[in-house]
Amino acid sequence: MKENFSGRSRFVNYLVPLCLFAASWPVGRTGGALYALGALILAGLSFFLFRHLVHQINQAEQRSCELDEQLIQSQKLAAIGELSSGIAHEINNPLAIIGQEVEWLRHLFETSTLQEEKDRGEFSDSLKQISSQVDRCRDITHKLLNFARKMDPVMQAVELNRLIDDMAALVEKEAKLNNINIIREFQKDLPLVTSDPPFLRQVILNLLNNATYAIEANGTITISTKDNKDGRVEIAVADTGRGIPKEHLKKIFDPFFTTKPPGKGTGLGLSICHGIIQRVGGTISVISQLDRGTTFTIRLPIAP
Amino acid sequence: MPSFKVLVVDDEFDFLETIVKRLQKRKIDATGVGSGLEALKLLEETSFDILILDVKMPKMDGIETLKEIKRRWPAVEVIMLTGHASVESGMQGMQLGAFDYVMKPAKLDDLIEKMVQAYERKLLREKQIR
Repeated sequence: MKENFSGRSRFVNYLVPLCLFAASWPVGRTGGALYALGALILAGLSFFLFRHLVHQINQAEQRSCELDEQLIQSQKLAAIGELSSGIAHEINNPLAIIGQEVEWLRHLFETSTLQEEKDRGEFSDSLKQISSQVDRCRDITHKLLNFARKMDPVMQAVELNRLIDDMAALVEKEAKLNNINIIREFQKDLPLVTSDPPFLRQVILNLLNNATYAIEANGTITISTKDNKDGRVEIAVADTGRGIPKEHLKKIFDPFFTTKPPGKGTGLGLSICHGIIQRVGGTISVISQLDRGTTFTIRLPIAP
Repeated sequence: MPSFKVLVVDDEFDFLETIVKRLQKRKIDATGVGSGLEALKLLEETSFDILILDVKMPKMDGIETLKEIKRRWPAVEVIMLTGHASVESGMQGMQLGAFDYVMKPAKLDDLIEKMVQAYERKLLREKQIR
């Protein structure tokens, strides 16, 4: 019995797992299908989630671009607003005085025959006041015109190599303190260029200053000139600095675009450079590689 | 040599005296004053073509003087001349409309050449405005 039992139990011992196995066979296959289905659902879910995320990121980026643009626009408008409110204020004061004097003249005219010495005196005082206020207005408009003209380039012959060398010498003193070397690769027989010297100085100084900022310490700025033989000369300012990320490259000439902390830069330097180079008939472009450096290239017409 | 009138503004009296003397020896009509305020006062009475302006001066410094001059007499061409050159003040000066920013010591010939160019610019600009 015992034997039997043990024999039977041995049989049961085999049978149970066998039955379980047999039973679980189809279940296992269904389980596999279930797993596959689960994986499929998961994959689908993550796919949709991923797409949704990418979409969200894109939208956020677009929104931030739009915000940037709005910000630039509003800053521009603020600048114009400030300027025009200043002008309005300056001109409104003399206008108010003129208006007042006209009222007084009208009053005199209605109440007096202007035969008396005293009335005639007042009349002529008012005229004098009006005339001097008109002069004041003319002064204001002339100053404004002068301000606008300041932006017009004055074209004269420029020895480019010398002009650049002067500006490099100015930056060199401070650059050396940070172990930044300035290498000059000037073409010797560069033709005289007809351009606006102070404007060019401003641009070169700006680019050299940016280059030292990009390097911070220990690096090289190479500034070169060459005759392109197509009626243009080329100036290149190359630094071994941190480089400019791709997403910033197309924005760097935009007004008010800056990566410097607030208060450290107006974001106007490069946009002013761009404006100047355009006004003297040239072009300015940039190439950059992260952690390798940046090169700005200016092409200037030899004759305007 | 074209004839133009130069005003040199520098608070270092020795430098001022010498440079004015040397310019006059070259037949350049040069005058010297020791501060920005004196320069503004003189400009109210007399007209000058070119200003040589020191950057570092007590009370009213070169940048402030430049700002005021360009506001009131934009036709005057200004050459900044400085013993304490800094990139920052150089950029400021050029942005405010200076013709050039020159470091001391500068050779007199170089300085005169820059004056000639600055004067040429003044004449060209007057022609443009007309």
